[in-house]
Amino acid sequence: MSVVASVFILAGALLAALAGIGVLRFDTAYARFHAAGKASPVAFLLVAIGAAVELGWAGAALLAVASTALVLTLPVGVHLLFRAVHRTTTSDHLRVDDLAGPEQPSLDDQG
Amino acid sequence: MIAVVAVGAFVVAAVAGAVRLLRGPTLADRVAALDVVLISTMGAIAVDAAESGDTTNLQILVVIAIIGFTATVAASRFIEHEDRRP
Repeated sequence: MSVVASVFILAGALLAALAGIGVLRFDTAYARFHAAGKASPVAFLLVAIGAAVELGWAGAALLAVASTALVLTLPVGVHLLFRAVHRTTTSDHLRVDDLAGPEQPSLDDQG
Repeated sequence: MIAVVAVGAFVVAAVAGAVRLLRGPTLADRVAALDVVLISTMGAIAVDAAESGDTTNLQILVVIAIIGFTATVAASRFIEHEDRRP
């Protein structure tokens, strides 16, 4: 494995391990979602860059499709999880709560 | 050697996610933990492809990314409407 690919893959793997430890150790659901939704896609991006350097164009194309799918979809999914937790539990430990106030219309209520 | 270290780090992440998956406490925590386990699997598959030089398994990554998103959205909608189901 080339030096550049090794550096990217090791950095990504380390970041993935940190994301896992964050999901395990943080004490509120919001903090855990931050670890799951921000660190892990970046970790996969780093590993995909390293693997693409190693594999050439054929592998890079597939890795680009996978990375794009992940980066486009994962923030949306984690945001929906945040919203679900915010709507179903009390958020007294939050110092700033921009979602507080009148209930936002849900997707089911429109139309 | 580098591939072994990298896959080991992904295994650490997946095990941490699995512990959170079993512990909870809320359903949303379990869904997020499952996301972490899935992304660790994706990373390990990418490392394996880079090590062996074989691009066959990379198509699994696309499928995992899209299926994982669908599962997260379905679960979050279920969580949101758990308390006021008709």
